[in-house]
Amino acid sequence: MKKKIRHDQYGYLFVAPFIIGFLIFGLYPVVNTIVLSFTDRTLMSSTWSFIGLKNFQNLFADSTFVTAITNTWELWLMNFIPQMVIAFLLAIWFTNNRLKLKGVGVWRMIFYMPNLMMASAVAALFFSLFSFYGPVNQVLVRSGFLPEAIDFIRKPAIMRGLVVFIQWWMWFGQTTILLMAAMTAISPSLYEAALVDGAGTFQMFRMITLPLIKPVLIYILVTSLVGGMQMFDIPYLLTDGRGSPGNSILTNTINMYMKFHSSKGHIGAASSVGLVVFLMTSVVALLIFFLLREKHDQPAKAER
Amino acid sequence: MKRLFGFLAVLMVMSLVLGACGTPAAPATQAPAATEPPAAEAPATGEKTVLNVWSFTNEILTMAVAFEKTHPNVDVVYTMIPMTNGEYQTKLLATLGTADVPDVVALEAAFVKSYVESDFLADIGDLQKYADELKMYPFVYEVGMANGIHKAYAYQATPGALFYRRSLAKEYFGTDDPVEIQKLLGDFDKYTAAAQVVKEKSGGNTFMVASSGDFQNLFFANREQPWVVDGKLTVDPMVNKMIETAKTFRDNGYEARATQWQEGWFAGMNDTLKDAAGNPKKVFSYFLPTWGLPYVLYPNSTSADGSSTTKGDWAVVEGPLPYQWGGTWLGVMKETKNMDLAKEFVRFCTLDEENLTNWATGVYTNEYLKAIDPTVPDDQYQAAGDFVGSQVVVEKITASFDDSEMSKFLGGQNSYGGFAAAAPSVNARLMQGSDDAIQRALNDPLNSYLEGTITLDEMWTLWKDAVRNEFPDLVIE
Repeated sequence: MKKKIRHDQYGYLFVAPFIIGFLIFGLYPVVNTIVLSFTDRTLMSSTWSFIGLKNFQNLFADSTFVTAITNTWELWLMNFIPQMVIAFLLAIWFTNNRLKLKGVGVWRMIFYMPNLMMASAVAALFFSLFSFYGPVNQVLVRSGFLPEAIDFIRKPAIMRGLVVFIQWWMWFGQTTILLMAAMTAISPSLYEAALVDGAGTFQMFRMITLPLIKPVLIYILVTSLVGGMQMFDIPYLLTDGRGSPGNSILTNTINMYMKFHSSKGHIGAASSVGLVVFLMTSVVALLIFFLLREKHDQPAKAER
Repeated sequence: MKRLFGFLAVLMVMSLVLGACGTPAAPATQAPAATEPPAAEAPATGEKTVLNVWSFTNEILTMAVAFEKTHPNVDVVYTMIPMTNGEYQTKLLATLGTADVPDVVALEAAFVKSYVESDFLADIGDLQKYADELKMYPFVYEVGMANGIHKAYAYQATPGALFYRRSLAKEYFGTDDPVEIQKLLGDFDKYTAAAQVVKEKSGGNTFMVASSGDFQNLFFANREQPWVVDGKLTVDPMVNKMIETAKTFRDNGYEARATQWQEGWFAGMNDTLKDAAGNPKKVFSYFLPTWGLPYVLYPNSTSADGSSTTKGDWAVVEGPLPYQWGGTWLGVMKETKNMDLAKEFVRFCTLDEENLTNWATGVYTNEYLKAIDPTVPDDQYQAAGDFVGSQVVVEKITASFDDSEMSKFLGGQNSYGGFAAAAPSVNARLMQGSDDAIQRALNDPLNSYLEGTITLDEMWTLWKDAVRNEFPDLVIE
């Protein structure tokens, strides 16, 4: 008995690096952010005081903050839904035993490629493509599709479309690979059995594939949600870093960064944005877990 | 087991989400890497005192090397951080109040005032006697002042001017003489009227200016009230006048709609601007300050393939309104352990007659710098022509620029003399720390208004929302 207890202590030693790292780089910033969000602290002044919920009152009275929240949700949903549809389609084709597509590896690599590019390079690329004197205008005007050049960078709908497209384009390859990994892990014998029972392709997808890749689906959904709520680099770099034109691509994180980066460095006010986004994301993430939880809990327990 | 997986997943999600809140602190983690000087100085030998200098431009390295010549027992550790996307400001903000803060910091016009207004810069008012001796242009040291305390000085003065194409001026106005052109463009009503002439006589193929953003600075520089009066956001009539003028320029097609610092803006400088259909377009004038001549206009006056050049076809006048644009100030951080040395460094760079003369007349050549420190990069030399902040120095050296490369570029006009004439009328008393952010916030709503997608009232509302977002303590009506 005594020996066993001693062995247990090694466990603490092994998890210590994570716990220490988490406390310093995970928990401390969060606690600090929460504390900061109740202060009027700025980087340019050494004195500050607690101001209660004033920061949050300001936030919700401020239409910019509401715009940022709606924008973030819209931009994320508009790229996530098509991303899942395309990724599912590709993953099913690539893993389908009957189609036996050639060159899957090559395609997979090509689709994953945009993800390896730096966001700044991608943003700069699209910015110059669509600028007023840029190649897209040149091609469209010279080929007669447009009577005169359009200032794309100043058109809210076009810039939103671009952000959505770039996010989709950069991330669908990653999602495809995750889904493929999940799908190939399913034992072929299940499909064989289903075939023998006379199941159709859609039925097999609905009854075998979907339930078995659910953990991966949850993972994709939640990581994408977290990433989407923190969407920053592309919309920040694509226009003026302030969500222009007309705040159309202003996201939560840009909003937070603007407060931090204003001439006084309002870190108190910026933290309050961070805290609201944190709470919002946590609630939604937990909701996803709750909705997609294992419905047949009883048999699962029995299994164990 | 499932439950454990669920718990771990939640934990994982939480830790991912937590990342979201870490953002404001993130720059701090990058800061240590930046404190290592990218261009290592000569290894400190013996008991050299180390002075840490941070800058966003490699210009000051030249002076730092020269400083080491006159102060042999000092090792200036120079750290250059670019400010392309605000990295410099971010890193500086992140080190405030920590042990990593440098001794001397370079501050750019856009953010110098917020540091001067803050608690972080030391009072270096005892240098003012040197500034008086050298007759520094008042706006140069006024920018570095808050509540009567001197906290930063600049080596440059950056008065603005108007550059125009001589050949086009002859074509549309019958003369390219700067005196005559200044009479024609002496105020903004005249400038707008001239824009109409340019448009008519060129058949719409020459634009008066590349973008209406080019002349925003002029109006802002000539306000009578600052943006913030007693904690309240205030709009000076000059701002309204700017918006009116910008709208006139947009609606009548007087501007090329080429945003500053972008392809089309530069293309206009070397006559290779083409609209989307491929028709060549020209730009008549550019509003640029002192540094705009050697660093922007001159290098861009020849197209990349060398086929088109506008060298020698430019002239400079004071333009419709006096203004200043940009500039680099030097301040001393309060926490410095080498206060006297840091002050001496600022004095040497900004208020030393010999250094300023050397700086402006091209004495700091590669050979000169390499003799002091062989490790300086080959392109570190400072070419002649930067406009310095001291009237005493300017008066002594102006004549030496009569035959300079820049004077040839301007068809024989001595640009140094032109700037010397413009500098005394510049006023920077209204400059505040929040200016840059407040003015930036106006860009997007103003552009929407110019495009006609929103009304003037909607523009003001959008702007006020944006300002409120960045300045929670400001009273906005």
